[in-house]
Amino acid sequence: MSAPVEDRRESWDGPVPVPTGATVPFWEGTLEGDLRYQECDCGNRQLYPRAVCTDCGAEDPPFEESEGVGTIYTYTVCHVPGEPGFADRTPYIVGAIELAEGPRLLALLDADPDVLEIGASVAVTFWRLSDEAAMPVFVPE
Amino acid sequence: MAEPILAGVAESELGETPDRNWLDNAAIATVRALEDAGCSLADVDGVAVAGGNDYMPALVLSEYLDLDEPSFLEGTEIGGSSFEHFCGHVRDAMTRGEADVVVVAYGSTGKTGPGRDRSLEETHPVDGFVRPTGLFRPPGAYAMAARRHMHEYGTTEEQLAEVAVSTREWASMNPKAAQQDPITVDDVLESRQIAEPFNLLDCCLVSDGGGAVVLVSEEKARELGVPEIAVAGVASTSTHRQDISEMPDMTTTGAAVTGPNAFAQAGITHDDVDVAEIYDSFTYTALVTLEDLGFCEKGAGGEFVSGGTTAPGGELPMNTQGGGLSYCHPGHFGIFVLIEAARQLRGDYEGDRQVDDAEVAVAHGTGGLLSSSSTVVLRREA
Ligand SMILES: [Zn+2]
Repeated sequence: MSAPVEDRRESWDGPVPVPTGATVPFWEGTLEGDLRYQECDCGNRQLYPRAVCTDCGAEDPPFEESEGVGTIYTYTVCHVPGEPGFADRTPYIVGAIELAEGPRLLALLDADPDVLEIGASVAVTFWRLSDEAAMPVFVPE
Repeated sequence: MAEPILAGVAESELGETPDRNWLDNAAIATVRALEDAGCSLADVDGVAVAGGNDYMPALVLSEYLDLDEPSFLEGTEIGGSSFEHFCGHVRDAMTRGEADVVVVAYGSTGKTGPGRDRSLEETHPVDGFVRPTGLFRPPGAYAMAARRHMHEYGTTEEQLAEVAVSTREWASMNPKAAQQDPITVDDVLESRQIAEPFNLLDCCLVSDGGGAVVLVSEEKARELGVPEIAVAGVASTSTHRQDISEMPDMTTTGAAVTGPNAFAQAGITHDDVDVAEIYDSFTYTALVTLEDLGFCEKGAGGEFVSGGTTAPGGELPMNTQGGGLSYCHPGHFGIFVLIEAARQLRGDYEGDRQVDDAEVAVAHGTGGLLSSSSTVVLRREA
C-alpha cells in the first residue's frame, strides 16, 4: 500500500511523535504512506511497536505492511481540546480503529460526526507533522 | 490470615487548598485519621502512599512526618485503585508481624496546583501514538469505552445520567460535597458537551485535597477500643495503561476478576452487601463496575442504575458521600471510597444519610484509563 501523505508541517501546533527505539521503523513508514505493524515469527501481531513480542517474548519482532483498512471499534467526538494546538479544531473525532490485520490503533478520524458508526469501514491517510513522522488519520471508505 | 482493622479515617480540607501542597494535604489527613483512631504519629510503623507529585511518596511522607524507622513502606502506583490495593499488602505485612499501625494516605492539589507540561521525549513511546490525536484524557478515553457499551448493549445517555442524578442525591446530604443541588437526567444531558457521549455532569469534579485511613492489627484495635471494621477481602488487577485502544474489551473491566476474588475471600455474596462505594470518575465507570462486580447481568447496568436503585432508600446504596461526581475528586479517588465505606459501617451518620444497619461494604477503586481495578470487602465485626 501507499496511502496519501498530506504535508501539515506548517499548520500543525499539536504534539509531534518522537521516533525512538522500536518505534523508528513505524514512523519511517508513515513518511512513505505505509502503515506498519509488528508480526512476530510466532504469528502474534502487535501495535504500538515494542522491543519484544507480547506473546512469545522474541526480541524486535519484524514489521509488516498493513493494507491500511479497518473498522471503527469505537470513537468519541471531542468538544474539549486534550492537547495544545487542538483548541481551534473542536469538535474533532478520535477513534479506536481495528485494522484488518488485527491490531487496534488510536487515531484521528477525518469524518462527519453525524454519519459516524461503530463498525464502519475506514482507510488510512497520513498527515505529515514533522521531518520525522506522519500521523495516521482515518477516513470513511 | 490476619484481617487488618480499619481504625481511623479522615480527609484534609477539600475543594481548593492554594496554600497547601500535596504532601501537606496527605499529612493533615494522616494526623486527623490517627486522631480518629485514637492513636498518634508515635504509633505508626507503616506508610503506604500513592499519587502526589513524587516518585518516592512513601519516603517523602515518612520524612515529612518524621516517622521513627517505619518497618512497612509501600508506594505502588496503580492510580485511583492504589489504596484498595495497599489493603492487601498491609494484610500480608500484619500477618508477618511486620507492622501494627499503617497509614494509607493521599494528597493532591489537582485543582490549584501546577499543571503538567511534558515533552514527548520525556514520556513513553506510546505517547507518540496517543497525544498527537488530541484525545482529552481521561474523559475522552472513558467516553470511547462508554460508546462501545452503548453499541453492544443498548445503554443510553439517559441511563448514564442516572448515575450522576443518584450520587447528587447523596451529595445533597453531605455538607462536605462540592455540589449539593439536586439535578435531573435532563440537567445532565443538557450540560456542556465534553467528549461524546459525556457531558459535563457525566464527569467527576476536579479538587484539591487529601485523605487517609489507618489500618491496625486486631491486637492493636482491641487496645484502641475502636469499632472493628475488618478488611475481609482484597484483589487487584490491570488490563492496560496508557492507551485506551489497548484495553482488550472496553465493555468489561478488571472488576470482573477482582470482584469475585474479593467476595470469595470474604465469604460473601451480593445479597450480603449493604453499601457500595464504587469509583465514579465518570458515570460510565460506576455503571460498568457494577456489572463487572456482578450486581447485575453483563450489559444490564443501564437498567440497574435507573429508577433509584443506588439512590438514598434504594436497594444498593452507592457512593453515599456523593462520589467523585459530586463530593470531591482530587485525582486518586480511591482513598475516599474506603473512608466513606468505613463511616457507613461505623454508623457515623444520622437519618437518610446513614444506610440502615450496614455490616458489609464494597469499596472499589479504578485507576488509569479504566486500566486497574481493586476491590475491597469491609465487614463490621459483631
Ligand atoms: Zn512472538
